[in-house]
Amino acid sequence: MNEELDSQLSAMFDDELPSAECELLARRLSRDEPLKARWGRYAVIGAAVRAERGVRLSARVAGRVSAVISAEPALAGTAMSPRSGPFASRWWRPIAGAAVAAGVAAASVLWLRSQVLPESASLITQASIPATVAAPSPVSTAEPDSYVVPQTPERRVVVPSTELANYVVAHSEFSSPVTRRNLLSAFMASESGTAGAFAGSEEPVEDAQDNAKTTQ
Amino acid sequence: MSADVSDLSLVRRVQRGDKGAFDALVLKYQHKLIKLVMRYVRNPAEAEDIAQEAFIKAYRALPQFRGDSAFYTWLYRIAINTAKNAVVSRDRSPVEYDLDRNNPDESYDMQARLKDSETPEGLVLTDEIRSTVNAAIEALPEDLRTAIVLRELEGLSYEEIAAAMDCPVGTVRSRIFRAREAIDHRLREVFEGGLGRAEELG
Repeated sequence: MNEELDSQLSAMFDDELPSAECELLARRLSRDEPLKARWGRYAVIGAAVRAERGVRLSARVAGRVSAVISAEPALAGTAMSPRSGPFASRWWRPIAGAAVAAGVAAASVLWLRSQVLPESASLITQASIPATVAAPSPVSTAEPDSYVVPQTPERRVVVPSTELANYVVAHSEFSSPVTRRNLLSAFMASESGTAGAFAGSEEPVEDAQDNAKTTQ
Repeated sequence: MSADVSDLSLVRRVQRGDKGAFDALVLKYQHKLIKLVMRYVRNPAEAEDIAQEAFIKAYRALPQFRGDSAFYTWLYRIAINTAKNAVVSRDRSPVEYDLDRNNPDESYDMQARLKDSETPEGLVLTDEIRSTVNAAIEALPEDLRTAIVLRELEGLSYEEIAAAMDCPVGTVRSRIFRAREAIDHRLREVFEGGLGRAEELG
C-alpha cells in the first residue's frame, strides 16, 4: 500500500490532516475496504493503548450498524442547510414543485403562441407584398411572366403548428385530463385562427394574379 | 488545524448519500461509545446493543447535524440519551461508575465485574489484542513510542507533541504513522491468523 496514503490516513485519524486532503481521503476511505480495515485497526490500537477495560476490542458494532444502514435509503440531498428550518421538508414541497412545473408549462405555451402569431402576421404581410408590387397599373407594359409568384405560405404555417402540436402531445403525457382538454382547445382555437388568417391572406394574391393577367 | 475536520468531511459525505463514510465513523468511535455506554449498563453485550442503536439514531438524524459542534460531541449526547432510555425502559438502576476517574480500587472492582459478563471468545481476543499492542509498543524505538503514547494516551495534538519532543510537526506525524504501522503489522497477524476472527473487527 502507498506509504504516503497510509501516512495521510494516520494523520486524518488524529484530525491532523488539512481539510482539502481530508475531503479526498474521506472519499477514498468510504470505498476502499482495505483502507477502511486499516482505519478500524488504528481505532483498536488507540483503545488498547488507553486500556479501555470492559470494551471488547473485537466489537462487532460496526458490522451490525453497516448491515442495518445498508437496508435504509441513502441521505442524499437531505442535509439541512443553515437557512432551512423546521418547515423545510414539509407537505407543501410537492405542491410547490407542481406549481412551478405548471408555471413553466403555461409560460412555454404563451411563448410558443407569441412565436406563432407574429410569424403568421409577417407571412400575411409577405403574402400581401407581391400583390401590391405586382399589381400593374393600367399603363404598365410589363412582360407577362415577370410578376412575382409568392412562396406558398402553407409550408411555413406548418412549422410552428407542428412545434405546438408536438408540445401539446408531450405536455399531455404529464398533464391532467382537464388541463389537457383546455390546452387542446386553446391549440385548436389558435390553429383555426391561424388558418383563417392565411386563408384571408391568399385572396389578395389571387387577385393580384388575376389583375396581372388581365393586364396582359 | 481546525478541530473535527476529518470527521466533518466524512459526515458531509454521509449527508450526500455515501453510506461507506459512516462505516468509517463507526469504526473510529465504536470503542469509545461502548466505553461511554458502560457507565450505564453492566453487560458489554448490552452496551454494544445500545451503542449500535445510538449509531443508527445518529445516522438517521445526520441530516439535521450542521457541524456546530464536533461530531463526537453530538454522537456522545445521542449515546447518553439512548443509554438512559434503555436503563429506564428496562427498569434498572444506572451504574454510576466512571472508568475515566482516577479511583483504582473502584475501577478494578468494576473491571472485574465487567469481565465476568464477557463472553470467553471476546475476552480471549481482547486480551490477545491488548497484549499484542502493548508488546508492539514496547518494541518501538523510543521516539516512536513516546509520540504514539502522547497521542493515544494523553490525547495531545501534533503541535503539542512537537513542542514536548522539540521537533517539527511533520516529524511527529511521521513518527506516529510509523509507530502505528509497526503495531498494525503485529495486529494483523492476530486478526488474520491468530484466532481466525478477523471478520469480527467490523
